Amino acid sequence: MNAALGSAGVTLGLAASVLGVLALAAGLRRRRTASALGTGVMEAEGLLRLGRSFAWLVLAGAVLATVAMEIALVTSDFSLAYVAANGSRSTPLLYTVASLWSALEGSIILWALVLSGFLVALVHRFADQASDPLVAWATLTMLVVSAFFFALMLGPADPFRTVAGPVPLDGPGPNPLLQNHPLMAVHPPMLYLGYVGFTVPFAFAVAALVTGRVGEGWLAATRRWTLLAWGFLTAGIVLGAWWSYEVLGWGGFWAWDPVENASFLPWLTGTAYLHSVMVQQRRGMLRVWNLSLLAATFCLTILGTFLTRSGVLDSVHSFTESPIGPWLLSLFGVTVAVVLGLIGWRGDRLRAPGSIDSPVSREGAFLANNVVFAAFAFVVLLGTVFPLLVEALNDERVAVGTPYFNRMTMPLGMVLLFLMAVAPALPWRKASGELLRTRLQWPAWAGVVTVVAAVAAGARGLAPLVAFGLGAFAAAAAGRQLVLAVRASRQRGGSVVAGLVGRANGGMVVHLGVVVVAVAFAAASSYASSDELRLEPGQTAAVAGHSVTYLGMNPPTDDGQKTTFAARVQVDGGQVYEPALNQFPNATQTIGTPSVRTGVRDDVYLTLVATPEQPDDPAVIGVIIQPLVVWLWIGGGVMALGTLLAAWPGERKRRPTQPTSGPGARAADPSPEPPAELPAPAGMA
Amino acid sequence: MRRWLPWVLLGVVLAGALAVGASGDTAPRSNAERSADLAADLRCPTCRGQSVLDSNAPAAAAIRTEIARRVEAGQSDDEIVAYLDGRFGESLRLTPPGTGLAALVWVLPVAGLVAAAAGVAMAFRRWRMAPAPTVSADDRRRVRRALGQEP
Repeated sequence: MNAALGSAGVTLGLAASVLGVLALAAGLRRRRTASALGTGVMEAEGLLRLGRSFAWLVLAGAVLATVAMEIALVTSDFSLAYVAANGSRSTPLLYTVASLWSALEGSIILWALVLSGFLVALVHRFADQASDPLVAWATLTMLVVSAFFFALMLGPADPFRTVAGPVPLDGPGPNPLLQNHPLMAVHPPMLYLGYVGFTVPFAFAVAALVTGRVGEGWLAATRRWTLLAWGFLTAGIVLGAWWSYEVLGWGGFWAWDPVENASFLPWLTGTAYLHSVMVQQRRGMLRVWNLSLLAATFCLTILGTFLTRSGVLDSVHSFTESPIGPWLLSLFGVTVAVVLGLIGWRGDRLRAPGSIDSPVSREGAFLANNVVFAAFAFVVLLGTVFPLLVEALNDERVAVGTPYFNRMTMPLGMVLLFLMAVAPALPWRKASGELLRTRLQWPAWAGVVTVVAAVAAGARGLAPLVAFGLGAFAAAAAGRQLVLAVRASRQRGGSVVAGLVGRANGGMVVHLGVVVVAVAFAAASSYASSDELRLEPGQTAAVAGHSVTYLGMNPPTDDGQKTTFAARVQVDGGQVYEPALNQFPNATQTIGTPSVRTGVRDDVYLTLVATPEQPDDPAVIGVIIQPLVVWLWIGGGVMALGTLLAAWPGERKRRPTQPTSGPGARAADPSPEPPAELPAPAGMA
Repeated sequence: MRRWLPWVLLGVVLAGALAVGASGDTAPRSNAERSADLAADLRCPTCRGQSVLDSNAPAAAAIRTEIARRVEAGQSDDEIVAYLDGRFGESLRLTPPGTGLAALVWVLPVAGLVAAAAGVAMAFRRWRMAPAPTVSADDRRRVRRALGQEP
């Protein structure tokens, strides 16, 4: 029943996608001939409208598939192979619902659902431009992508495959690690909203290339879509780090694991795009580069899914065993080829007439930003796939781990912090030294004072100190822009909030969030101290200024799904925490559940390493003290908030012809600016 | 000269603070710190993507104990890594070696960054060389009209 319902949904989705593509293609073709002949315009528009309406059917198919799978999961319909492999009667409801994305086939359903949601949103948003070829081509591109994912579900990743032989009475449930924390219910959907959301700007990029309208129109049309996708991806990544910190029990939040890198790669190229797109909107330049960045972002989501889902990372030779690998790799290859072909074909229209006057300018800073982000993405990509390359070429095994990524990306991160500090103060076109000295003076002192204060407080080590200083420099620069913007808004009679919305101001709030994350990251990874304590019941030990007292073990509890052995550990003579070890009936290894005392200054992270043989024997308690960890999550929240502010429609503060740059109107900017930032051509002065 | 004074002061204060801050780094590492640093750079052989330091797997715990024993016995880092490589038949190091094919993972990003920087520098050179576009009197009038300086 569920299998039939789900398969019907998938079939409906695929059929609607294909029919939509055909109708749109026919409409676009008819429209071209109609404009030449002068007749048949009505038919062309009818076809385009028809093609668009298939989007709703695609969504209906995806919803049907999702509902069928959820019903099957919740009602323990073990006749479905997916439910038999990932469900169990004893799993709590929340994790049963979340099992939809705990394995490959189900996560493709989620992918299709999110994609068709974006598709319908796009069709709805651009309803009044239905006959615009740009919109039609974007819709068509989205439909092609959705056809691919529905085809995956009919072919190599069929979620509604039924079990061969007798229907099992119960299943093993999801991987124990995936049913340990409620964040599992939030983090993957967030990540998918971001991942899949980038399909929309990518579709418009393809449409711009096909229609030859490579100007700035499609950029303005997709600005909020891109921001939204980026915001979701950011939130998804931060929530993923939080989940791994709360669940995995090694005290870390980022391991440069291929799965993490797969989500981080599109984030890097997407972030580069969000910055360089401003150069195109302002100056009409970097067209090819922006198109390439969007295409790269989309391709990296596919490549990331390929890397993490095909089993290729275990060994290059294993990927052909999973049927989905070749499919995803083909989509990746086809996308790269199509985009390169289109860019080559439209090469003449993509050349921009302008030029960047000076490297010391806003556009120069964006250019530097893009070089660094591209290098960052290259390092992460190379480090992730390098073991595969070496194995394929030389049949030798090389591990590329955290030390490599840290060493290579740390300097890039520092440069990015520095750019974040300097760039907001730079005007477009050209900056004078006097202007920079005035604008950067106080932010720079904020950075220096922070370094001095950190050294005085006992912080040691060059790398974290430089990170703190640059972080404060960047935060002060962003803060300065926000103060100016709010002041300008007040002077115009607006509210404080009105000074915080819009791209530039929201972007500065995002920058503040990035600084918070960067400083927390530097502090937590540089000043962690850890110890394994063998404690008798009642015994106390000191770790990095905190006292830890082992009180004893709780009696083991059995909730029908797992047996839990929890220790009672008192931190600093106050509250009692209960790190635990869980024994799942179907797993050989025990899964630890860390317990964390979260604080504004530092976290005390407790794990139970070994349970005592007898109740009065000593237990082994792992203790990790890391400063500022909680600020990683707070910073992530600030970034999400800033994204919302940036997407919020701000008031128009200046006409497009006005040459002023940056947030805040010129009148409110107290720093002396040269009267004309545009070098006045001779004869006009 | 007066204008630069605050910046010179800033540079001096910063350099002083960083010098003090970085000097605290050079204290000799304790045995426990050496063991932890070594374990952080070794792949846990039975897990996926975790270091010997981070993993709770029995194999990782065994390697940690072995490292601690050899550090106490006064062996150098290289000796300990060589011993472990020999025992596992392959390198456990998470830092790829700087020789052979694997060195590419270090060289390629640096080469790429240098090439990109050179490309940007060349672009700026070309832009500077490019002749300024000629602006006719008609164009100027249009601009002034658009800016509202002329009816």
